[in-house]
Amino acid sequence: MTAPSVPPQRTGAAVGTPPPAARSVLRRAWSSYAFRRIRQSVFVIWLVATITFLLMHLMPGDPIEIMAGRLNSAGMSHEQAMATASNIIAYDADASVWVQYLEFLKGLVTFDLGNSLTNPSKTVFEHVMEYLPWTLFAVGAGVVLATVVGLAVGMAMAYRRGSAFDHAMTSVGSFLTGVPNYILIAAVIVVGYTMLGVLPFLDMRGRITAGVEPGFDFVFFGDALFHAILPIIAFAFTATGSFMLNMKAATTEVLTEDYVTVAQARGLKPGRISRNYVGRNAMLPIVPQIALQIGTLVGGSIVIEQILQYPGAGQMLMQAISNRDYPVVQAAVIILATSVVIASLIVDLFLVRIDPRIKSEGQEA
Amino acid sequence: MTDPILSVRDLAIAYRTGRRESVTAVSGVDLDLYEGQSLALVGESGCGKTTLGLGLLRLLPGLGEITSGSLTYRLKDGTRADLLAMKKEQLRRFRWNEAAMVFQGAMNAFNPVIRIGDHFADTLRDHADNGKKWTRAAVEARAGELLETVRLDPDRVLQAYPHELSGGMKQRALIALAIALDPQVLVLDEPTTALDLLTQRSIVQQLHELRKKFGFTMVFITHDLGLAAELADRVATMYAGRIIETGSARDIFYAPKHPYTAGLINAVMPVKGDRPALESIPGYPPSLKAMPDGCAFNPRCAFATDECRQDRVPLELLTDRPLAMHHSVACLHHDQVGLPRSGGAAGATPAEKENANV
Repeated sequence: MTAPSVPPQRTGAAVGTPPPAARSVLRRAWSSYAFRRIRQSVFVIWLVATITFLLMHLMPGDPIEIMAGRLNSAGMSHEQAMATASNIIAYDADASVWVQYLEFLKGLVTFDLGNSLTNPSKTVFEHVMEYLPWTLFAVGAGVVLATVVGLAVGMAMAYRRGSAFDHAMTSVGSFLTGVPNYILIAAVIVVGYTMLGVLPFLDMRGRITAGVEPGFDFVFFGDALFHAILPIIAFAFTATGSFMLNMKAATTEVLTEDYVTVAQARGLKPGRISRNYVGRNAMLPIVPQIALQIGTLVGGSIVIEQILQYPGAGQMLMQAISNRDYPVVQAAVIILATSVVIASLIVDLFLVRIDPRIKSEGQEA
Repeated sequence: MTDPILSVRDLAIAYRTGRRESVTAVSGVDLDLYEGQSLALVGESGCGKTTLGLGLLRLLPGLGEITSGSLTYRLKDGTRADLLAMKKEQLRRFRWNEAAMVFQGAMNAFNPVIRIGDHFADTLRDHADNGKKWTRAAVEARAGELLETVRLDPDRVLQAYPHELSGGMKQRALIALAIALDPQVLVLDEPTTALDLLTQRSIVQQLHELRKKFGFTMVFITHDLGLAAELADRVATMYAGRIIETGSARDIFYAPKHPYTAGLINAVMPVKGDRPALESIPGYPPSLKAMPDGCAFNPRCAFATDECRQDRVPLELLTDRPLAMHHSVACLHHDQVGLPRSGGAAGATPAEKENANV
């Protein structure tokens, strides 16, 4: 994927002397689309971290005192409780806000944001990473499912505009988009488990069935999937509806484009036309929405995981909040935000691969 | 010159406008095109030229359909095929291989997300004969050859995405793509519209060369009479969905017999000589939904009589030349029509004509 006509760099020409080759390569890398997007992502992560830091400091009450109070009520003496509490917290509570902020940033890049208050033997990063992969797996699989189903159904709707299939799917799509996914999944459980009794919901709770050993084998993955299937479906619901409706609109528009008529005139095979000419162009406006959906779903995991009793990052965050485990909340928010930022970065870089026009727009700007 | 390459009989094309309604965009078209001929379809916007052009390849958009008539081609293997009877797969194989089309506004003719070279590869591969594999190298060799015939640099163009080419380059690339399978018939819909004058010139030049080299049968759809005069040996004038006059380029440009054709020519500024005031044709073309009775041109025609308002006027053969070169016109008063500029006595209006007769 090399751009066939990279416009010459204007920076050197303006001065009058062409820049040395090495510098020009570095400059080009610096101003390349991928690097620009990465810089943006780092900035967003920093912004989220800073806001989280500020929020923790704006909250009423001193976290050390709150924690010490709890240790105290658990039977520890006041001095001992204060000492333990300030040990757990990663930064010096008596230092100025600026010093604390610098300490916090240092902790951020070294993955050390203190220890969990409820589980002091573990750093918060370890604690969060114990839960996060499960959520990312469920959300990721849900989004992939929604993308595949949504794009396929949306395209079929556009090809059969006005048919009974189109009308039926438009209703389904609006329904899925309109009704919150936690209500839909609750309905699935009520119908499938309570009413019909075909859904083994009680066994599906949790991450894995007791006795299954984690490992790279079929049993483990099969069991993990069995437990994740309801969260995956829940995450897929909303996204599927909106992908379907948007893909239909996009495809309908692409079908009127000249290059589709020309492709038909060229006698190309119908499969090739719908895949490479219609599909590839119609999905361009949908791809950025995938990134948005990932963000929404990770946020929504708090409710979904609570309903489905799936111990992922959402449920962990919920518990950390109710336990006032500030370091964990802080780290969880930062890590969740970071994973969403990274997901949208990946989606954007993918978009460049499928739409060659984006790169050159960036260079002209 | 015995068997026409393309033969159209009484073709009618309609667009559906509602559940049970439709408007007829083209009707009663008879057309014979012999090998190596180039025909220009001229007429105002909305007269049905493009619809007819798309109809020739059965490429009508969703709501359009051929409602009656016949459309046959002589294929490369010498057999005659009825385009209207073809099944989907047959039709797909026919398109581009037997008849290709260069579209109006090549700006959007290429898929924006794949390279120009991929367009050649897709076309060649989907039309490959059984077992023939088009490798990347073979595609590049063939596409390079084609691009060179339209004076494009293959190294640059094959790797380029459509947005990296100028309008003129895209138009040339599309022409190169159109001749990739060596079709017998090439339909060109406004091939030079939306290009600057110099680019237009060089495209016309190249079409000339290609025609000489490959001997295509061509159909030009254009409202540019200059282009028609330059590239066509036969011209058909369309008005309100019908062909109202057809003849050799010489017949049409020097001795038009339909008042509408004469009016079109009068509305063009001559490049040489003195410049008479341009005359436009009064009024507007009729709406497809409210066609006047009789000759569709009668409300705008200076020669119209009561007879013109009664029955549809059929094409009348004016010459006794071979059928491939005939001149026909659908006008009851064709003997009165002439160009005011071309000669003294042949006045433009009946009034002048009467004065001259006195």
